[in-house]
Amino acid sequence: MFTGIDIGGTNTDIAIIDSLIQTYKVPNSKGVSAALKNISSNGRLAVSSSQPLNEILTGPPAMIKSITIPGPGLVYPGAIQGAVSHRGDVVEPVNPEEIKTLMKSSHAQAVAISGKFSVRNDSLEQQVFSIVSDYISPDKIAVSAPIGALNFPARIKTTILNARIKNKVAGLIKEIKQTRKDFFFVTSTGGLTSPERAIQNPSLLYHSSPATVANGAYYLTRNKNCLVIDIGGTTTELVPLVNGKPLFNTVIVENSKTLINAVEARSIPYGGDSCIRENLCSFRVGNSRSFGGGEPTLTDALNVCGARIGDESRSHVIDPDLAHEIVQYYLEMVSSAVREYRPSAIIGTGYLAHYLLSDISERAQVLGIVPEHAGSANAVGAAVSRLCLEVHIHVDTEKKRMTVNGKESPYVHIMDNEDLLAYAKELVQNLAISEGAPEEDVKDVTVFHFSSYDVIRGWKVTAKITDIILGITPGITVEAL
Amino acid sequence: MICGIVYDNAYLMHEQSHTHPERRERLSYTLDQLEEEGIFDLPEIKLISPVPAKRDDVLLVHSAEYLRFLEETSVHGGIIDADTIIPKDLIHDALLAAGGAIQAADAVLNQEVKNAFVLARPPGHHAGKASGAGFCYLNNVAIMVRHLQRRGMRRIMILDWDAHHGNGTEEIFYDDPTVLFCSVHQYPFYPGSGRIDDIGVGDGKGYNINLPIPAGSSDKVYRYLLEEIIIPLAEEYMPDVIAVSAGQDNHFSDPLTGLALTAQGYARLMQEMCIVADSICYGRLIAVLEGGYSVEGGLPYTNLGLIAAMAGLDISGIREPAIYQELLQKSVSEEAFPKVLKMVSNLKKKLSNHWYFIHRSY
Repeated sequence: MFTGIDIGGTNTDIAIIDSLIQTYKVPNSKGVSAALKNISSNGRLAVSSSQPLNEILTGPPAMIKSITIPGPGLVYPGAIQGAVSHRGDVVEPVNPEEIKTLMKSSHAQAVAISGKFSVRNDSLEQQVFSIVSDYISPDKIAVSAPIGALNFPARIKTTILNARIKNKVAGLIKEIKQTRKDFFFVTSTGGLTSPERAIQNPSLLYHSSPATVANGAYYLTRNKNCLVIDIGGTTTELVPLVNGKPLFNTVIVENSKTLINAVEARSIPYGGDSCIRENLCSFRVGNSRSFGGGEPTLTDALNVCGARIGDESRSHVIDPDLAHEIVQYYLEMVSSAVREYRPSAIIGTGYLAHYLLSDISERAQVLGIVPEHAGSANAVGAAVSRLCLEVHIHVDTEKKRMTVNGKESPYVHIMDNEDLLAYAKELVQNLAISEGAPEEDVKDVTVFHFSSYDVIRGWKVTAKITDIILGITPGITVEAL
Repeated sequence: MICGIVYDNAYLMHEQSHTHPERRERLSYTLDQLEEEGIFDLPEIKLISPVPAKRDDVLLVHSAEYLRFLEETSVHGGIIDADTIIPKDLIHDALLAAGGAIQAADAVLNQEVKNAFVLARPPGHHAGKASGAGFCYLNNVAIMVRHLQRRGMRRIMILDWDAHHGNGTEEIFYDDPTVLFCSVHQYPFYPGSGRIDDIGVGDGKGYNINLPIPAGSSDKVYRYLLEEIIIPLAEEYMPDVIAVSAGQDNHFSDPLTGLALTAQGYARLMQEMCIVADSICYGRLIAVLEGGYSVEGGLPYTNLGLIAAMAGLDISGIREPAIYQELLQKSVSEEAFPKVLKMVSNLKKKLSNHWYFIHRSY
C-alpha cells in the first residue's frame, strides 16, 4: 500500500493506493498530525511539503548569518579564516576565536556555513559548526558539504536557504515521526528521499508540488507526452511531460543560482482562491467565500457563472457580468500560455480542473483530459514516486580519500575506471536500498558525469583523481506500476 | 565588462606521452577551481566553444611544407625534438587550439566580449614558420594575430610573459613593424634566445623587444618592467589589439623554471594590461595560454587571477594558500632586481633611436 500526502496552501491532500485509489482532503488548520491519524500505519508513506517551505522562503526576510570559508580566490561576504584546497587538503586552519567573536555579537535566527571545496573535505565546516552550535540550536545551522556539488556561490545560496528552512523541516520530521516511524519526503525532482538526507540538505524538498503533480498525472493517465495544468488555490502550474517524465531546471532564487534541481513548471499567479477586488488579483487572502472565506474569489466567480462548488449561495456577491469577465480573463490567460507549448494533450489536475479544463482545451484547441482523482493528483504522485538519489563521488588515490556527497567515506583503492564505476554504482544501489528503496527501483543507475585523470609526479603516475556524478533518477516506483 | 573564456573539454585530450609535463593534469585543477568559483555562471563571463582553425588561417603563418608534415605525421605519430613528440591525431588538437584563438579574436572584434582568455592546449609560442619545438606545434598567437590583421586590425602588440622566450613568435614577426613583439623571460634559459640585442630587422627593426630577467625575479621586477617599458611601449605604439602569450610558468612554484611571480602578481599584471587596453584600444585584449607546469600550487590560482582581472572582478583574494609562503621566500632573489635595472638601462640604449619615450629621457 502506498500513501501520499501533499501539504498544500489550504488543504492537505491524501492518496491511498492499494488495489484501489482513494483520495481525500483535510484542512491544514487541523495540522499534519490530523491528516496522519486518518491513514493506516501499513505500507509506504511519502510526504510532499513544498507549500510550507515555499511560504518561508518567499515570506518576510529572515536574519540568516552566512559564514563563508573562501580561502584563496574570489572574494565572498561573511569570510572567515581557513582554506581547503582543490585536492581536499586543509591548507589554512580556521580561527576559533574569530568565530566566537562573530557569534557573540550576532542576532541571527539561523546560520549557514559554507566552505570552498568543503565537498572534498568538510572538516573545517564541521569545526565551525561545532563552535556555532554553542550559540544556536543545531536545527538552525546548515553546512554546505552535503549538497555535494562544486560551485561555491551556488552552494552558499543553497546553504542559506537550507538554514532558513532546516528548523521547519526538523519540526515536520518530529511531528510525522510521532505517528509514523518510517516515511519519505518528496523532493523537487519528484523522487523520494529519507528524512535523514532531507535534514542534511533541506532544499531538496523545496518546490516539490509540480513534481508530484507531474508524477500523479502520468500515473493516472499514462499519457507520456502532454502538458499538465494544475489549478491550485494560489497558482496555476503548467508542467510539460516528455516521455512520461517532467523536464528539470536549476532553481534561481532572488536572481542567484542555487544547486536545487526542480521540475520545470510555468507558474501563473492565479488560482481558485485568487481574490477579486475590481479585477482578479494575483494573491490569496483566505478561502473562497463558498468555503467559508470573506472575500470573493475565482471559485466564487465560477459559482456565479453556474458551477456548484462548495456553498455556492455565499458566492453571489459578485456582479454576474464581472464574474463572467473574470472567468474569461483567466481562461484566456491560461489558454494562451498553453498554446505556447503546442501540446498534443492537456491533463487537468487540482480541485478546479473539472470546472475549467474543458474551456481551456476548447480555447487552446487541444485534447483535454481530467482523470479520476484529478483533485488530488499531487498526493497520488507523491504516493507512487520512487526513491531517487544524486551522488557526487570524488576519489583521490594519493590522499586515499573518497568523498560521497561531501562526506568522507571509507576509502577503497581502485585504479581501473571500469571497476571504480561499478563500485560507485553498487554504492549508490546499497545507499538507496538502505534508505528503503525496493531492489527493482535501483536496478538502473544513471551516470551523469565521469572524469578521471592521472596525477604525474617525477614522470611517474603516482595517483588517480576521479569525479563521478551518478544516481537513480526520479520516476514511478516499479511496485506501483 | 564581459570576458570570453575559450574552452572545450577537447583541450584536455592532447598528450605527447602520458607523463609529459604538458599533460591533461595541467588544466584539471584549474577547471576545478573555476567550477568551484562558479565562474561560468557569472554575468561577466561568457564561455566560447572553439572550432578548429582552417588550413588557410594556418598558412598565413606557417609554411605549407611544415603544415603538411604535421598532418602526415599525425597519422602514425612522430617526433620533432626530444621535448616535442607528435602523438597520433595531433593535428586535430593543434588546429583546435589555434582555432580557439581565432574564435577569441572574432568574439572580441564582434563585440560579443570585451576581452578573452583562450585556455587552449597545446601551447604555441616556440613554433616558428616551419618548425615546432618546446611542446609547441602551431603558433596559436601568431595565427590569431594574422587573423586579426585580416579583419582590419593594423597594429598588434604581443606581450609574451611566458618564462621561456617566445622564439617562434619572434621569428615569425621579426621583420614586421605591424606587430610589436615584447617578451619577458628568464635568461639564460631554454630556448637560449631572447637577448636584448635582438631588436628586429629591416622594417621590423625596433619592434622586437626582449626583456631577459634572471631567476628569482619577483612581482617587483615585473611591476618595474611594466611601468618602465611595457606600458610606455604600448602607449607609444598604440596597437589596435593587445595579445598576451600568457605562460603561467613564471610562478614561484613552477617546477621547470626559476622565476618568482605570485598569483597576485599575475592578477595585477593582467589588471594593468586591461587598463592600458582600455585606454588605447577599446579594451581589446586576448590572452592565449602558453606554458605553466605548477599544476597544483600555481595554475589554479594564476589562471583564476587572470580571468578575474580580465572580467573586472575583485582580485584582492587572489593568492596561493599560506602553506606556499616558505617556498616563495626561497624562490625570490634579492639580486635579481639590480640586474634587471642594468638590463633595462642597456636595452634603452639600443632602442633609443626607435622609441620616443626612451629617446626623450636621454
